[in-house]
Amino acid sequence: MTPILSPQGLAGLIFLGCVAATIAGALLATNATRLIRAVTGLALCMVGVAGIYYFLGSPFVALMQILIYAGAVCVTIIFAIMLAEPHEMKRVGKVHALAGPASILAATVLVWGLAALGTKTVWQPVACRAKNGTLEEVGQSMLTTYSMSFELISVVLLIAIIGSLALARAGRSK
Amino acid sequence: MNIMLFAPELFLLTGALVLFLLSLGSAGGGKARGTTLLFAIVTVASALVCLHLEGSLFYNAYRIDFFSQFIKLIIAVGFLVVLLVGRQLKGVADDVRAEYYLFLTMSTLGLMMLVSSVELLTLFIALELSSYSLYLLVPMRDDRAGSRMQMEGAIKYILFGVVATGIMLFGMSYLYGLTGTTYLGELVTRLHPIMAQPAAIVGLAMVLCGFFFKLAVFPFHFWVPDVYQGASNETTAFIASVPKIAAVALLIRMTTLIAPGGWPVVNLLVVLAVASMFYGNLVALVQKDIKRMLGFSGIAHAGYVLLGILTLGQNGYATAMYYITGYLVMNLACFLVICAVSPKGENLQIDDLSGLHQRSPLLALTLAVGMFALAGIPPFVGFMGKFMLLANALNEGYLALVILAAINTAISIFYYLSVVRVAYTTSPEGYPAVQVAGTTKLVGVLLMLVIIAMGVLPTAMMNIATSAVRVLL
Repeated sequence: MTPILSPQGLAGLIFLGCVAATIAGALLATNATRLIRAVTGLALCMVGVAGIYYFLGSPFVALMQILIYAGAVCVTIIFAIMLAEPHEMKRVGKVHALAGPASILAATVLVWGLAALGTKTVWQPVACRAKNGTLEEVGQSMLTTYSMSFELISVVLLIAIIGSLALARAGRSK
Repeated sequence: MNIMLFAPELFLLTGALVLFLLSLGSAGGGKARGTTLLFAIVTVASALVCLHLEGSLFYNAYRIDFFSQFIKLIIAVGFLVVLLVGRQLKGVADDVRAEYYLFLTMSTLGLMMLVSSVELLTLFIALELSSYSLYLLVPMRDDRAGSRMQMEGAIKYILFGVVATGIMLFGMSYLYGLTGTTYLGELVTRLHPIMAQPAAIVGLAMVLCGFFFKLAVFPFHFWVPDVYQGASNETTAFIASVPKIAAVALLIRMTTLIAPGGWPVVNLLVVLAVASMFYGNLVALVQKDIKRMLGFSGIAHAGYVLLGILTLGQNGYATAMYYITGYLVMNLACFLVICAVSPKGENLQIDDLSGLHQRSPLLALTLAVGMFALAGIPPFVGFMGKFMLLANALNEGYLALVILAAINTAISIFYYLSVVRVAYTTSPEGYPAVQVAGTTKLVGVLLMLVIIAMGVLPTAMMNIATSAVRVLL
């Protein structure tokens, strides 16, 4: 067994810490009654995921995760909550008696399936290590290999912006 | 780079740009429709010209071959027919029509790029481009009735779409993790030796889910009835026809990745085909709203198409393409009638078609031909397509599946023919007269001719489809 104070042991501890943050954040996000707390949970979850990315050796993706998801997305949601001032409500309506056991069963099956999938498959290390995930390599592949996707994303975003304007303003009369 | 390789997409993109500029000003619907129609015609023409081109673009992420060009031509023609069918666009307010046509054009562009993409990320984003535009088209319907059912449809559409996309991306991550490439060409060679690995099978099945959603195959069909009902008639005509062509093309492309070890995926396709056929046909029996009925019948037809795909052979693929092309034409014929008969763009109950043979004989005939074809009655394309699908599946040894499909065809005849019965045997009293424009009549006659021609002379179309599919194998 690896001693905890060795580099591997500490790295393992950091990994477990990131996983714990992700799971705790996700639980908070789904179970909180106040929306603002749920958003905080979401942010915590995103930071945990970013930690896992960093642990896997992709600092750029980790940084983007924090910048975009934990930063921009969560802040936008908080703005939306501030502007909309939703009424804090207790959960209404009865949940079906079988809903709890059924969801636990479904979750167990899902976890078991994914775990079995991971352990039963013989994973071969890919011959050449895929990109190191540095900024330079990401930039280069965006303008060469993935240039098409890169350009197409801008079109998708344009459509999303025009669409949200056209729908939210109910036409140009208002 | 040869610019002709990208010509049909470029014309559509230019059209979208012009529509975008129009939407910035205060252009009404008429101008936007004229522009879209013009660019649709140019796109069809350029797709015809570019039919036999071959090449690769964008660092090999985009492949132009006879398969992609042939499907692009069908998509372009479908787009043009949808524009002509929904010419009056009764269900959408005049001041958002420029945006409406913009989204419609972009959706078509996304579908066209989808069939040429041979790299997983490009493929995914092209799919998203077409899906996003469709999500936006659904809630653009007028809220005249105040029932806000278009909102319900749109929310269901986007939520189920996002889930299906998520599953697809998850599957792609497995494929990438196993092979270290996102290019389909390399995936084939690297995936074949490890096809028996559970992760390869599950990953591939999950990637297929994204296209099951587009085609409305059984567990991904939940959006269908509400979107068909909630979206305006013209939007539904598009959603029900053109994206399914691209979905079938992509299912064919992705199932070519299945190697001999991948029998669980084939079994999955068998189960989904049977479930789609039974679910679609049985629920369609009790529908009163004609669009909902066509929605459930679409789920059943997705099951029939899977019969061709799951044989994984050249003949099966070609028949699936033949069938889905026929489905496009039959479906558009039915929607032509729905769009023309609905006075202000509201939904039609089946009873609203009462006495249509007196109110408008030509529309009644178009409806009858479309419904007969969907039911699979000779000499129409639906019969020939089903016949070839079943014959091919029988040759490949799927006897039980063929029997189940035949039972389903028998079930479906009931609800298709009951629509024809309402149109031909009831009295038109109490229902308004129908005014039909000349263009609509012309399109109706043309659609009927294509339905009959494809049914009577299937060889020509089958030869083209076979040579298109041969490119992939």
